[in-house]
Amino acid sequence: MAETERKRRPLEGVRVIDLTKIVAGPNCTRMLATMGAEVIRLEWHDQRALDLLRMVNPKAPGGDEESLNRSGLFNNINAGKYGATLNLSLPQGRDLLKRLVAKSTVLCENYSPNQMEKWGLGYQELSAVNPRLIYMQITGMGKSGTYNGYLSVGPTAQALSGLTHMSGLPEPMPPAGWGYSYLDHSTGYYGAMLVMAALLKLRRTGKGCYIDVSQTEVGLMTTGTAVPAAQLFGRKTPRLGNRAAETWAPHGAYPCRGADEWIAIAVQTDEHRQALRAEIGDASWAHDARFATAALRKANEDELDSRLAAWTRDHDRYDLMNRLQRRGIPAAAVQNAADRCERDAQLKARGYFVPLPHSEIGTWAVENFPARFGAMPVEVGGLPGRGAPMIGEDNDYVYRELLGLSPEEIATLQEEMVI
Amino acid sequence: MSKPILSDALAGVTVLEVGDARGEFAGLLLASMGAEVLRLEGRRGSHSRRVGPYTTPMPDPEHSLCFSRYNLGKRSVTLEVDHPAAAEAFARLAARADIIIDGGEATTVARRLERYQQWRTARPRLIVCTITPFGLDGPYRDLKMTDLTHLAMGGVMMSCGYDPQPDGTYDTPPIAPAMWQAYHIACEHAVLALTAALNYRELTGQGDVIDLSIHEAVSTCTEVAIPTWIYNQALVHRQTGRHAAERRSRPWLRKTSDGRYVKAFMFWGGHERRVIAQMMTEAGVEHDLDSESYRELAKNSPSEAGAHFSAMIDRFCAALPAEEIFHRAQAKGLLWASVRYPEENLDDPHFQARGTFQPIEHPELGRPLSYPASVGTDGRDPVTRFARPAPRLGEHTREVLTAAGLNAAEIDRLAAAEAI
Repeated sequence: MAETERKRRPLEGVRVIDLTKIVAGPNCTRMLATMGAEVIRLEWHDQRALDLLRMVNPKAPGGDEESLNRSGLFNNINAGKYGATLNLSLPQGRDLLKRLVAKSTVLCENYSPNQMEKWGLGYQELSAVNPRLIYMQITGMGKSGTYNGYLSVGPTAQALSGLTHMSGLPEPMPPAGWGYSYLDHSTGYYGAMLVMAALLKLRRTGKGCYIDVSQTEVGLMTTGTAVPAAQLFGRKTPRLGNRAAETWAPHGAYPCRGADEWIAIAVQTDEHRQALRAEIGDASWAHDARFATAALRKANEDELDSRLAAWTRDHDRYDLMNRLQRRGIPAAAVQNAADRCERDAQLKARGYFVPLPHSEIGTWAVENFPARFGAMPVEVGGLPGRGAPMIGEDNDYVYRELLGLSPEEIATLQEEMVI
Repeated sequence: MSKPILSDALAGVTVLEVGDARGEFAGLLLASMGAEVLRLEGRRGSHSRRVGPYTTPMPDPEHSLCFSRYNLGKRSVTLEVDHPAAAEAFARLAARADIIIDGGEATTVARRLERYQQWRTARPRLIVCTITPFGLDGPYRDLKMTDLTHLAMGGVMMSCGYDPQPDGTYDTPPIAPAMWQAYHIACEHAVLALTAALNYRELTGQGDVIDLSIHEAVSTCTEVAIPTWIYNQALVHRQTGRHAAERRSRPWLRKTSDGRYVKAFMFWGGHERRVIAQMMTEAGVEHDLDSESYRELAKNSPSEAGAHFSAMIDRFCAALPAEEIFHRAQAKGLLWASVRYPEENLDDPHFQARGTFQPIEHPELGRPLSYPASVGTDGRDPVTRFARPAPRLGEHTREVLTAAGLNAAEIDRLAAAEAI
């Protein structure tokens, strides 16, 4: 009994129908799979229904160039899920979906805002099939409101939410924005946490619900104090580069020896400042009266930054990081992916890279959930204990075992291009 | 507006939030879903009370907008959890709690964890989540970190910034996106772990101990960077206003007639050329994208044609204000948006209709300020809300300790010992 108890997963018994694509939706269902839900990705081969991420580089080397099963990013974001094919543009496909929904607790989708209704598969129709259903819809700007029908990807939502504007060097430089779809990641997190909160409510009330999450609102949620501060001061949110709005200085990324190698240094207290001065040693600028107090350092930050950069430039970034850290100064090498994969002893020691088997490309490392648990089995390989599913890999499980279709019925559905 | 559907999803869940500001965003998100979050901040108050901006002319820990933003919906108790005289009171609070969140440096948190483990032995339903820079073990465990250094080490900065010079060298630094994003990412994962743990507890009756690493959380949030290295041993390079990539791509950011920017996200397909040509014609902006010479160019020199097409998009954007371009482009099905200041969304009828923002009273100002409060709707109304503004320092100390069973004399003794 104790053994059984230990192995129960947080979302045991929760089946998730996954109609998501690219990153935001799949990240949501990835979290649910990691927590032990049975996530079933339903995909189809045509342009509208296929997850384009299956075609995106990087890909596992060798093999068939045209294969839909070799994308590394797809594998990373869809680990731990089951995969089946289903053609929702055919009435039989839509009927099969309803039968699956009847046996599930959650449905996640991130089609364009009105697509599911066009198919007659909106929340109203599906909750009639299963009143306990939690329906998670993820869109760029939201399903309700005046932008219903507007289309978006992560970068679009980042622009609208203010996140693009807020990242970068001060004007007149243009915004740098985020160099990837940050809101695809975070919207997935919010989607999954709201689903898990809704599951708690479902356990209590027996009722499911519809949730319409928008990436732009997730972006707004992560703008910190910007929105209330703009109202308070009656001014537009400024862009500060790597500098702090506080009197913390120096505070930024400084060049080190080597091409495009940098160290981030964050001096927040007088102790940090004294320790930095001790590390720099006798250089006259370090003792300059213009840098004597926090307020003065802030007022003369341009000069301070250029002096510090001239000093850091001759140092190896890791060596300097270690020296500054020994003196208690927050400092870190600005790491790229190679650094994190090859040099970062912490990520290695904590089991950050999890080797998982994939049915076509073999075993590849997948990024782990960033916490260790005492008792709960939280595994990025999910129930199937593997990387992402090949397209249609689990048709037999879904249609024969789950829906109880006969081999003949399955063969007919395949011939008719339904599955 | 009816009651937001998920604003009571965690009703009945009591959270003790201990430690520094690193865990505050997690408590905030739990509070928005109806948890009773008690911020045990000590007599000096949370560090975030000493981070600006302030709603008063002079810095005042009672009026930090930073504290307010990260502590909406919580109650404040000034219990000094590490003070020997506070041990009993802390244990009594913990005996009524479902979750303890403890954010801070690993050594401090690990010391308190010994006590949490004892409480868990007595009451296995308790869920504990520590939020530390690197987790509670490993060779980097005790490095001193801030939000900036996390974004550096976790890989976010190396993907964000500006185009290199033509020879490929960078003369601008990697950029850390503003506003404690490392802590946001970490706390979002903490809430994922905690909502999972609450579900686990429903099944098993057992809580758990969750050891969350901010560094790992940030590192997982860099999209294609890690897979590109794992599969191709290649790096992505940062570019202005668009995705870092192995090879240079064409710009997305375009300057507009009102000195603003739009983000003109493109797949560079034929469909986009047709609708953009149409959009330019409708707006009266001259172009040659329908001309025979452009078609010839596209056939004979796709890369030159691409550059010309890109220049035409620049011309279109330079002719119109950002908001007009946003709506015209969306009407054509293009995935474009204006680059807004976050506060511009306050007056947007779309977000007003969705109830994205919640006005929070600020008595010291005599007026409310609106804060982002919900990331979605139930089809009409927002799904989450904050039940109260951020607390004054110690506003709920007596009330909470009394509810935990301490009598007035005991509370007075705590005060005399400077434990509250």
